[in-house]
Amino acid sequence: MSHPMPATPRRVPGDLAMWFFILAELAVFSLLFAACVYARLQQPQLFARQQAGLPLWPALANTVLLLSGSAAVFNACCAYAAGRGQAGRRWLLACLLCGSGFVLLKGHELGALFAAGINLSSNSFWMFYLSLAGFHYLHVLLGMVIVAAVWWRAGQGAYAANHDGVETVAAYWHMVDLVWLVLFALLYTAR
Amino acid sequence: MSTSFTKSTARNIFYGGAVFFFLLFVALTFDTVQALPKRDNRANLTEQVARGKNLWEVNNCIGCHTLLGEGAYFAPELGNVYQRRGPEFIKAWIKAQPTGAPGRRQMPNFHLTDAQIDDLVAFLKYSSQINTNNWPPNIEG
Amino acid sequence: MTSLASAAGRQTTPSAANVQLKYRSQVVAKPYFTAAIGLFVGQIIFGLVMGLQYVIGDFLFPAIPFNVARMVHTNLLIVWLLFGFMGAGYYLIPEESERELHSPKLAIATFWVFLVAGALTIVGYLAVPYATLAQMTGNDLLPTMGREFLEQPTITKIGIVLVALSFLFNLSMTVLKGRKTSISMVMMLGLWGLAIFFLFSFYNPHNLVLDKYFWWWVVHLWVEGVWELIMGAMLAFVLVKVTGVDREVIEKWLYVIIAMTLITGIIGTGHHYFWIGTPAYWQVWGSAFSALEPIPFFMMTLFAFNMVNKRRREHPNKAAVLWALGTGVMSFLGAGVWGFLHTLAPVNYLTHGTQITASHGHMAFYGAYAMVVMTMISYAMPLMRGREANSNRAQVVEMWSFWLMTIAMVFITLFLTAAGILQVWMQRMGDTPLSFMATQDKLAFFYWLREGAGVVFFIGLLLYIISFFVGKDEAR
Repeated sequence: MSHPMPATPRRVPGDLAMWFFILAELAVFSLLFAACVYARLQQPQLFARQQAGLPLWPALANTVLLLSGSAAVFNACCAYAAGRGQAGRRWLLACLLCGSGFVLLKGHELGALFAAGINLSSNSFWMFYLSLAGFHYLHVLLGMVIVAAVWWRAGQGAYAANHDGVETVAAYWHMVDLVWLVLFALLYTAR
Repeated sequence: MSTSFTKSTARNIFYGGAVFFFLLFVALTFDTVQALPKRDNRANLTEQVARGKNLWEVNNCIGCHTLLGEGAYFAPELGNVYQRRGPEFIKAWIKAQPTGAPGRRQMPNFHLTDAQIDDLVAFLKYSSQINTNNWPPNIEG
Repeated sequence: MTSLASAAGRQTTPSAANVQLKYRSQVVAKPYFTAAIGLFVGQIIFGLVMGLQYVIGDFLFPAIPFNVARMVHTNLLIVWLLFGFMGAGYYLIPEESERELHSPKLAIATFWVFLVAGALTIVGYLAVPYATLAQMTGNDLLPTMGREFLEQPTITKIGIVLVALSFLFNLSMTVLKGRKTSISMVMMLGLWGLAIFFLFSFYNPHNLVLDKYFWWWVVHLWVEGVWELIMGAMLAFVLVKVTGVDREVIEKWLYVIIAMTLITGIIGTGHHYFWIGTPAYWQVWGSAFSALEPIPFFMMTLFAFNMVNKRRREHPNKAAVLWALGTGVMSFLGAGVWGFLHTLAPVNYLTHGTQITASHGHMAFYGAYAMVVMTMISYAMPLMRGREANSNRAQVVEMWSFWLMTIAMVFITLFLTAAGILQVWMQRMGDTPLSFMATQDKLAFFYWLREGAGVVFFIGLLLYIISFFVGKDEAR
């Protein structure tokens, strides 16, 4: 971890191993999205009816929270690139705060659904809704664990010479956001 | 185009990914176990069915047949044999083995008592009423 | 070859020192590999018997009914692969840990316990009716028998656990006291996982759905989970040795590949939960994840070829390199491509429980596990016999055996695939479906071709054994 990377313009940010992970995740989500679209075409009325009952405002708030998280982690990368480790660490904390907001808000929503007796076997719509939203929710949690780990390591001065680790977690967080945007469009707004 | 690629990141992703997906698998398993009572026909899981399952196992029926599509592929699917043939045919068939027809696949005679054959048929009846998402595609299995 | 075990026991004698081995205790792997090959021969003989029973139904009936032959065929496969993995563990862990094995004596004792227990079990299968064996071994006390691949009497299962614990204790002590490399960590994780998931074989509820659900925790989480870690570690070890490529490079790719394996493979278990009474959502989850299972296998293929292309030395053991590359290709074809062929739920609805499954099973087990064990044997056996590589003549024979077995397996798979497609068509797709047995009669032609390919495979296997005895005098 100690060798400095030359600052060439054509450089993939973050660690290649993370990109393999990201591509695998995107592939899984793509297949799940495709299956969801197929099911929707099979049962348009069911999907339209259930979708109309979904609360839109929490979903919009969640979108803002996740995108703010992305902005924060991007700023963290910039701060580390500029050698301002203290600021970078604060931006990581800001990202964690945004993630926590999402986890609380979405968790409340999912909890209410479970309390109402809705589960993966209720019907085709709820199966896809809970699978996609739940799987994505776990990814936000995982993203927060990784951000927290990077924040902790940053506290030990791990990214003074080389901030690849920060870029790696930023790439992951952006992927989680990207998935959310597609998911939001598909589950909440698609007609 | 260059990028960093370190063993420590690869290792962390391996361990993290493995733990993440195993926990997810455990969560889905928990949900499955919760959902099974509506699907697995446990209301009809009697003592007799349990005895039948034991007979199914100790005679290694799975070594030739399939049950819900799993097993060997040498002899017919038995998950829906109760519907395909009916209880009386099954009992007569088990007793009539082996056919001894030259060159044909042979099923051994397992020397089961009438009560044991009843147990086995009860097990096959119970198995045939499990919700298998409409598998097999038709009655031939 | 006859005094392998005693040779291992003699290793304290200075005169028996082998200049090719970094650590003398590595030689305990030799009896394990020898037993693996011996059991492999048994597996193929019973495979040929079954193949014939597919077309001449009453062949060897009632002496060896099909279910007995199949039990012997599959159980011998599992046991010889376990012998291979254990031999590989005993060989590579001391070398990776840079110290002698914790207890070579325990390793040899474990070998004999495992071999005798395995042999007694096979004799039990063949000598008495299965129900009698169940009664004799007290199956009623803890019924675990009579489920596919887990047919072993409960006492044999307990024996397997004890053997595994002894083996893992021996290796773990070695690793703990020595150097910890990524290869040894992955190997140990795979082996511990193998032992832990086997414990689910003791869970056999009356509820058929729960029984089947957790049965897959042994079978799937073995072959599409932890065994792939073992395979990856074995392949990485051999590649480090024969290519001379920097260990750092090989190890980080190993991590990425096995990360992909578990990311796709754990939830991929869901492709077995489509039609056994489990909830319908598994059709989506299982299809999506298992559709990606070919990726790690494809990466393994690229990995093997890339490392060999970037080699920094010309290892004289060309046969081992061939096996390593072959494992990459054949595991991708057998496990990856043939698995993908029928893993999506709408396809699997038609193919579940047909000869398509059998075709995939054959090439996947050969390509991934049989071949990786032979890769390890091919690399390590000459070293244990005191030479860096076998003579050219011996290697040529070994390569012939590689090609004969591999091509024969490709044809076995193709013929079974053809039979499977026709079976699906005739039995499940038409308006007037044929019965199972009527369909089987119509497939006889392909079963004959499969049996022919099986005979070629057996010839290849005999040649493989002959290669161990060729050109001893020319050895350097």
